[in-house]
Amino acid sequence: MTGIIVLIVVGALFVPQYGLFWRIRRRRWLQSRQAVEDALAHLHQFQHDGRPASVETLSNTLGTSTKHTLDLVNRMAQLDLVAVTGQGMRLTAAGHRWALQIVRAHRLFERYLADETSVPREEIHARAHRLEHTVTEAQVDKMDADMGHPAFDPQGDPIPNAAGDMKEIESQKLVDWPAGVPALIVHIEDEPPEVYAQIIAEDLHPGMVITIVDMSPVRVVIGTPDAEHVLAPVVAANVSVREAPTEGVEPAGVPLTTLEHGEAGRVVGLAPACQGLTRRRFQDLGLTPGARVERVMQSAFSDPTAYRVRNTMIALRREQSDLIRIERAPRKEQEIDT
Amino acid sequence: MSETSTKPTVGEDILGRVEEMQRGLDGSYRDEIVEAIYQDAEAISRKVVRTEESTSYPWDQKLDRIVTSKIWGLPFMALLLGVVFWVTISGANVPSSMLAEGLFWLGARGVEFFDWLGMPWWVTGFIWHGVYRGLAWVIAVMLPPMAIFFPIFTILEDLGYLPRVAFNVDALFKKAGAHGKQALTMSMGLGCNAAGVVACRVIDSPRERLIAILTNNFMPCNGRWPTLIILATLFVAAAFPPAFAAMAAAGSLVLIVLIGAATTLLVSAVLSRSFLRGEASSFTLELPPYRRPSILRVLYTSLIDRTIFVLWRAVVMAVPAGGVIWLLSNIHAGGQSLTVWVSQWLEPVGRAIGLDGVILLAYIIAIPANEIVVPTIIMAYTGAGMMIELDTMAELQHLLVNQQGWTLLTAVCLMLFSLLHNPCSTTMWTVYRETRSVKWTVVSGLMPLAIAFLLLFIVAQTAYWIMGLAGM
Repeated sequence: MTGIIVLIVVGALFVPQYGLFWRIRRRRWLQSRQAVEDALAHLHQFQHDGRPASVETLSNTLGTSTKHTLDLVNRMAQLDLVAVTGQGMRLTAAGHRWALQIVRAHRLFERYLADETSVPREEIHARAHRLEHTVTEAQVDKMDADMGHPAFDPQGDPIPNAAGDMKEIESQKLVDWPAGVPALIVHIEDEPPEVYAQIIAEDLHPGMVITIVDMSPVRVVIGTPDAEHVLAPVVAANVSVREAPTEGVEPAGVPLTTLEHGEAGRVVGLAPACQGLTRRRFQDLGLTPGARVERVMQSAFSDPTAYRVRNTMIALRREQSDLIRIERAPRKEQEIDT
Repeated sequence: MSETSTKPTVGEDILGRVEEMQRGLDGSYRDEIVEAIYQDAEAISRKVVRTEESTSYPWDQKLDRIVTSKIWGLPFMALLLGVVFWVTISGANVPSSMLAEGLFWLGARGVEFFDWLGMPWWVTGFIWHGVYRGLAWVIAVMLPPMAIFFPIFTILEDLGYLPRVAFNVDALFKKAGAHGKQALTMSMGLGCNAAGVVACRVIDSPRERLIAILTNNFMPCNGRWPTLIILATLFVAAAFPPAFAAMAAAGSLVLIVLIGAATTLLVSAVLSRSFLRGEASSFTLELPPYRRPSILRVLYTSLIDRTIFVLWRAVVMAVPAGGVIWLLSNIHAGGQSLTVWVSQWLEPVGRAIGLDGVILLAYIIAIPANEIVVPTIIMAYTGAGMMIELDTMAELQHLLVNQQGWTLLTAVCLMLFSLLHNPCSTTMWTVYRETRSVKWTVVSGLMPLAIAFLLLFIVAQTAYWIMGLAGM
């Protein structure tokens, strides 16, 4: 008997969706800053893309019931953040300003996580999403200034400045790009995560120059200087490109790994695929154009290899040294240097 | 921002323009700044720094050619490890027994003093036979090896040898999805796992750092050496002439450490393919030039920062453990002490994994400080109700082998258990402080324990089965 009572009580509390525990949690969430901010971000995104936002799209994105979403929209209307018109919902001036602040915080956090931490690429969006609700406007301003007012986030989305202005750039979807013409990746859409994960798996970054090798209704084959990548068209549609500049993007030269034992060379540049903390670390170590590198030691298992860079010995794994482009020093110069 | 729009001052105006210009730059301007800084630095250094023609390279390079050689690199590492152990074991022997003698003598005077004061027997017992003896044992057993091991370790660190170790074995860690610097944190763990866990901060990537933290326990720390050394001496070194006993003990310790390293790699590989899946992050390792260690710095770092620090924490943990042992042995119920009750209850579990109930009980009591495992076992076997000292190895051998029926299987299983079981409470507390996660702290405790039980069960059951076949 007591067992049944306990079961009923536990059920009333914890049945998914309808249990009291979940109801209270959802109510508290809906009253929170995060709910309002997520709704603002959604409305801003749709307005920016020129799509009409409705209670349905909103409840879809937030994962709440229509009734709760209506409550939320009413509350936001009372706060003068949203105006409900015949065409649907629109952000008011105050709502728009707030929404831009969230977008700004989110993209700055993404930039920060990509540049200064070794958080994996696929986790950056979710982490920034959690962090964006925890900061004040003054903190966001400070972060922006400390990071040197970056104009783009790691996916190539523009970061609004304090006044809300963004640097928009012209781009085309990769699937609309003609085959054989070099293209510069300017933007990679990070949602939905499943699609983004496939792009990460191919190690594509904004700033890389690619060429479409082959395109069919089932697959898009793209070429980079080092490899070929195959994407499904629906995945390729999340990559935006524009015409590649004629020079200066892809450093010339050969990968550092091609250096033979005892040989020396000079750094030409770092591959565009070398981003974030790795790039920062390489620069800290002095692997800048013109720096002399000499291969000095190889470990017992052939990997890693130690190089002498600016009179310091540094061991690198093969994957890393592939990202460094060098130019072999002519024999004569080597003799002079050593 | 509202103040800026009303009436900007000159400073704000300039900052505003800077911001505008910064935003106009494309992503590569950071690269250009770094390049410009290096160019300036190069130009300055070319003007003011003069390099002697004969730099110290040749000497460095010759040494590097040996210690990172494809053929000699790894054997040299194992040999060095063996030498370090041998020096530690043979050097710690005499001071350890002197300390034990001195501290136990002091304890005896304490008991006399309390008796003279007319204290009840249980106060004297709890304070001097429980708490004080636990304390004395930990200090006597731990201090000398640490005071030898940590300075040697710090000298190797100061010399610049440790990064070479990471360089030598990185390929193995890469295969396991871990970071080469984990080798450094492992060497640190040989001194103390809590120190090893703290050392994991040198690994940048959170995923690889967590792997290093969770597996650090598989390096036997100072607290576990005594158990391993005693077993190695009783069951391995006994087979050698006395002159080689210390060397044989050191050799078997190296073997144990190698088994620990293999386990570390295996568990790291499993973790990075399951719960901590992810790509190996970037690996850059500086190999600094060899330097002459600064003696004062070595002494300070190793003795103050490491030895005293670790010893203090062990002492804090051992005090309650000593009290618990005394209480368990002196509270009687139904005609026998709690120690006997608990170890009888644990007996079947212990037997299933090649040990016995008393050993398991000792490990439970020793969660705060692993170094009291052996004294606790002896205490429980002799029913002394307090930690006692057995004067010679021969007496100990007589007790364990002749009276308690320990076999080679017991020794092997106990050595493996000592290597693999859960970390001490200090280490687990450190894991919590480093990860700030209850979940990973629990995992760091239960995962090694589960592995230890599983492996020992397999070893023991296989051995029983073979013995059954042989009709023994």
